[in-house]
Amino acid sequence: MLHIFYGDMPEAIFNTAVFFRNSYDDEWIVDAFSRQMIADVDSSTVLGTGVIDSPVLGKIAPERLSGGVKTLMLVKFMPEMVFNASTCGNNCAKWLLKIAENEDRTINLRNIMDFGKGKFDIHIINDDKIVHSMEELLPIAIKYV
Amino acid sequence: MRGIYDVVVNSRRLQYKFTVRRNITIVRGQSATGKTTLVDMIRDCNENGIDSGVTIRCERDCVVLSGRNWQRDIAELENCIVFIDEGHNFVLSQDFAKAIRNSSNYYVIVTRERLENIPYSVDEIYGIRISGKYAELKSAYHEFYQLYENVPYDGSTSIREIITEDSNSGHQFFSEVAQSIGVKCNAAAGKSNVASVVMHSAGPLLIVADGAAFGPEMERITELMKIREDIFLYLPESFEWLILQSGLIAKEHLADILAKPYDYVDSEKYFSWEQFFTVVLQDSTKGTAYQYTKSRLNPVYLHENNKMKILAAMSSLSALLGR
Repeated sequence: MLHIFYGDMPEAIFNTAVFFRNSYDDEWIVDAFSRQMIADVDSSTVLGTGVIDSPVLGKIAPERLSGGVKTLMLVKFMPEMVFNASTCGNNCAKWLLKIAENEDRTINLRNIMDFGKGKFDIHIINDDKIVHSMEELLPIAIKYV
Repeated sequence: MRGIYDVVVNSRRLQYKFTVRRNITIVRGQSATGKTTLVDMIRDCNENGIDSGVTIRCERDCVVLSGRNWQRDIAELENCIVFIDEGHNFVLSQDFAKAIRNSSNYYVIVTRERLENIPYSVDEIYGIRISGKYAELKSAYHEFYQLYENVPYDGSTSIREIITEDSNSGHQFFSEVAQSIGVKCNAAAGKSNVASVVMHSAGPLLIVADGAAFGPEMERITELMKIREDIFLYLPESFEWLILQSGLIAKEHLADILAKPYDYVDSEKYFSWEQFFTVVLQDSTKGTAYQYTKSRLNPVYLHENNKMKILAAMSSLSALLGR
């Protein structure tokens, strides 16, 4: 399940781009799940551990992936840590739910991410409540961010 | 600093073209739209000049602010357009808000956070989109677009409640108007409370707030609007701006001030355009029957003719107000 803490969380990694640059493994990039995220969010194709083909930027290194995809990979591959997922746009929301579909993940949000019109299971740590829709999530999130 | 500034940032592969209109511009939106790439290109040009392969065309220097020495660095900048990428938590601090108040620089800040300490306009929150590619150069052209369209309430739905952001003169005016048409008018006791008041309102409701400083609340309000269809917005620059628009007040160059406020609003004096219009109105009416104070509405503005002139400046509300 996805667990969210809204608002200031000192133990969360705030600058995920810098953390990614100094922490990622080559295997993360060529992982099948990462390839799907990179294709969907960045419209880019993974050519190898160190090269991604971007339609806008050309052949790029993993460090030049979008801030959103870098944070998604950190959430996926470093489950013991908490990251500031406000570096992700709304187009990353479905991937956060997928990453946490069968495993627990905790993220820190400092804005209101739109998880879409569908149903979901999200545990909001601040109020210790599980919500299933934006209608349920929003009144809680607005209290904290 | 005053004025609006066109900025064009080019590399062989990418071009960004946008206009900076006020002291604070916020850039956010979906991932992978090129926000960080823009800031990186400007940084490359700052550090390496022509060797970077990046050119920047702008009347003012465009610079990037980052890192732990931001306070030292910001103190050295004057009349620049300062870009800050996301991931720098100093933008959340009171120290940062204090540093950019009374600053001669304009700031373009990439962030999805509210920045509630900073009074930015609903009109100056942008996303970035690719609007095309040059076929020969294979170059992608990026432009800014307003993330929250400030489309005013059109009066087509009847309203049961008006919510204003505070209890100052604007609220007193709208309370009077609301009472005359049998509509409730509640003050939210500060713009950061508006979303909470909206959640507890049965609706249909109209939020009337100062658009010049309501930017930090827009994400919360627009998310609420996605799940409720009975929330409407009316976000003029400010109540004082409405009075100035109404024609009640005579002042030299007023038409030009209202048409091109960016040529008059000095970022060193005013943190937001709302503050500027308040000072213009106060100065213009000092010692006259229309003397304006923000905390308590001069009853002269509620005289029928004057009230109707102010209401006429809010053409989009005419249906609601029965005119």
